[in-house]
Amino acid sequence: MKKEKNTTGLISKSEKNLALYCIDAALRHGAGQVRVSLSKSTLDTFGMLNGELDKVTHAADRSIFLYIFADNRYGTFSTNMLEEASLEQFTAQAVEAVRMLAEDRHRRLPDPERTEKGAVTGQELGLYDEAYGDLGSDEKSRIAAEECIWGRAGLPDGLRIISEECEYSDSVDDNFLADSSGFRGRHTETSFAICSEITIEDTDGKKYSGYWWDSSPCLSGLQRGQCSRIALGKAVKQIRPLGHEGGSFTMVLDRSVSSRLVSPLFSALNTASIQQESSFLKNSLGKKIFCGGLSITDAARTCGKPGARLFDTEGVATKDMDIIVEGTVKTYFTNTYMAIKTGMEATVEGVSRPVLLPYSKDGRLPDDGVFDAGKIIQAAGSGIYVTGFNGGNCNSTTGNFSYGIEGFAFKDGKITHPVREMVITGNMISLWNNLAYAGNDARACTRWQIPSLCFSNVDFSA
Amino acid sequence: MDTSFFLDRFRVTVPQLGQLVAEALSQGGDYADLYFEHTTYSDLLLKDNEVSSGGFHIDYGVGIRVLKGDRTGYAYSENTEMPDMLHAARTASQIARANTALKNCGYGKGYPAAVRPDLYPESCRWMDSRSSDSIQVLKKLEAMIYAREKRTAKVIARLSWSESEIMMYNSGGELTCDSRPMGSIVASVIFSENGKNENKTSSRSFRSGQEMITDELLMEMTEEVVSGIDERFQAIRPKGGRMPVVMGAGASGILLHEAMGHSFEADFNRKGQSVFSGMMGKRICAPGINIVDDGTLGHNRGACNLDDEGVPGQKTYMVRDGILTSYLHDRISAGWYGVPSTGNGRRESFRFNPIPRMRATYMESGAADRESLIASVKRGIYVDEFSNGQVKIGEGDFTFYVKSGFLIENGRLTAPVKDINIIGNGPQALADITGVGNDLKIDNGRWTCGKDQSVPVSCGIPTVLVRSLTVGGE
Repeated sequence: MKKEKNTTGLISKSEKNLALYCIDAALRHGAGQVRVSLSKSTLDTFGMLNGELDKVTHAADRSIFLYIFADNRYGTFSTNMLEEASLEQFTAQAVEAVRMLAEDRHRRLPDPERTEKGAVTGQELGLYDEAYGDLGSDEKSRIAAEECIWGRAGLPDGLRIISEECEYSDSVDDNFLADSSGFRGRHTETSFAICSEITIEDTDGKKYSGYWWDSSPCLSGLQRGQCSRIALGKAVKQIRPLGHEGGSFTMVLDRSVSSRLVSPLFSALNTASIQQESSFLKNSLGKKIFCGGLSITDAARTCGKPGARLFDTEGVATKDMDIIVEGTVKTYFTNTYMAIKTGMEATVEGVSRPVLLPYSKDGRLPDDGVFDAGKIIQAAGSGIYVTGFNGGNCNSTTGNFSYGIEGFAFKDGKITHPVREMVITGNMISLWNNLAYAGNDARACTRWQIPSLCFSNVDFSA
Repeated sequence: MDTSFFLDRFRVTVPQLGQLVAEALSQGGDYADLYFEHTTYSDLLLKDNEVSSGGFHIDYGVGIRVLKGDRTGYAYSENTEMPDMLHAARTASQIARANTALKNCGYGKGYPAAVRPDLYPESCRWMDSRSSDSIQVLKKLEAMIYAREKRTAKVIARLSWSESEIMMYNSGGELTCDSRPMGSIVASVIFSENGKNENKTSSRSFRSGQEMITDELLMEMTEEVVSGIDERFQAIRPKGGRMPVVMGAGASGILLHEAMGHSFEADFNRKGQSVFSGMMGKRICAPGINIVDDGTLGHNRGACNLDDEGVPGQKTYMVRDGILTSYLHDRISAGWYGVPSTGNGRRESFRFNPIPRMRATYMESGAADRESLIASVKRGIYVDEFSNGQVKIGEGDFTFYVKSGFLIENGRLTAPVKDINIIGNGPQALADITGVGNDLKIDNGRWTCGKDQSVPVSCGIPTVLVRSLTVGGE
């Protein structure tokens, strides 16, 4: 079965007109301003279990979201019943429902000056791969099968694979955003992904699992045929973990999980959190809060890279910008509503493609230009190399955190043994003031470009 | 249940249902089912002293599943026009084409229709309720919280509800329907004292109509959200290490759900991935301990007249008197193991195929009283509120964030503690339970389980003493 090649995304001209019809209908029913978001997507997955096709799914979604501003009131509404007659009734009910709410004079559409003007086809950022239409179900199934190593893994004596789950998936997401102030914007992107999870058992009956994945906006960018091998390697390395005493150690954080400790920073930089008194970074704008080695930029408009976007959820044009420069907070994420409500300068609604820049407390990076977890471990000497998190939380108000971790102890720059059942605790501001190294090894497939990191004096309990 | 209402709602006839199933099986599938859903969801948000945002949302569609052996083909359509549904049926049927040699598992056909009374009748349907009434509820709750605690700095309150109409049909000719209400109310409060902020949340969620909202409920939530706020401001991070842990009755049951319950789900066991694989009939904890997953608690958030495969909801003993007695089954795993489904085949919506999921998971009461369990600990931790739990199914390792609790010193609760983690291994923690209280409490908070898909659940536990767990601290 071969799919028809589609070079223009999923949303047709008539469907765009349907979205614009909703704006007209809402205005006719009394709305003062309206934004409409029409989304369509498809997702196909082919899952293998122990070398055989186990699951085939096809998802095709569509929805219209209406953001209605009426009589200084605001509400959001959505439906996936897109027939014109039902949309007319739906829109009328939505405007009526908004009028039941309390007034909020801070709600309005963004200033048209701030909205994006160049997102016409949805493909300006090069995130749509026409090869999507070239793949039939047989080829997709074959890509999934290529990942499998079931029956040919070549494990050491005493180990056996309990299960191997591999999956190939591809998708198209097509979004058309329009508002009654004249904004029109489209964003279309494809995604191709493969993943594998392997569970093994040792002679004592103990189980260990490993997981790996890769994805890309274009099929040719997908790193195929290695997920199961890497997943198996990760599982094998965990065998027979040893106990490790608690204490204050240097922590190296692998690139595959390092975004976990960046996420609370972005949440705390959101003006909605600050306005609600639930941010540990309130009153931080323009101040040096973190170590001078911490710099994060938002590369929102980088062509062909995951996470890039020309406009945010309000239609506001994104821009490449500094978030934190040498420890100083440069940006709060402030949408139109929060800007009017708090008097702060409007920026964009959330981060797009953050890039954490390399850093070494020694003042220089490796001569060969590669600064990955291995090099950082060598530079750090001794400590704990964290490769996974298991639960935990960060208190958004105080910045205090506690996370379960797993990984490896290392000494004199070499890994010695796996560790598990350990917990790190601390405070986000203190932690980031103890940043010792930041690598340059962020995975190309991730939206957040966060490399391997190293922090000194982290409290571990075991 | 009046099936004609549902057939009209989804604009299909019984012969058309048969035609869709026939198309789904056209490539050699063993079993097919259809899951129609129409859900209306509404929410209102109080923030900055006003209910100034809210909305409603409609979701409509049909999911079509084909099984061949234990393999799954799945597709869905967001409208119920026959050509589109037939296309989805053909897509799902492809799984059979690729797996011609697999053995038919049986899938437990022939489940009796539910004969017991409706588990979640509504006397006041949300669909007929007025937004103005709901707005007043939120403002009343906010006023009660401000009146009760002077340190209240911010209140965010949300009232949400959904009404789902579900119709299921399968290749065994079974046509079943269910109407599922769900109402939830949540209050998140920030308290301020001497420039320091602390937050607490209280929630209630029931499969119930608007009649669930009473002054008593609002008072209960108010008391819950302000209780222990003194301790929250004074709380410390204790010194970490391995020590006994007493889990308070009620919300601590989330640890039971995450650390043990998921490992009892039959899909993980069927694939050999669970730490409990191959342990059926074996002792896994002390005599006297019973662990239950229950879909029959009236108006409970995890209640199911029918699961999402049309199997009646049931009360399932996973552990009885310390012995592992049952996994949690959907039709696939039941067929694979050759046992009846336990009615745990659940899904987030028509967009997802059903998989084994918990409902209301709890441990039954034991004989000990709470005070004697605490008194038996020389140095340890008492936990009354967990969050952000995570478990590794294969290894059984779990970690839970302790939002609030106390140090236990010489058998007495002393300094309040917060912002620490408890870490352990599920089977080991079960085996290390040395005392079970006589005070089982089901927590009716807004719990949602996120195993690949989100489904509403609830949990409960009596006061329980675990001999030793790792506590992360200073």
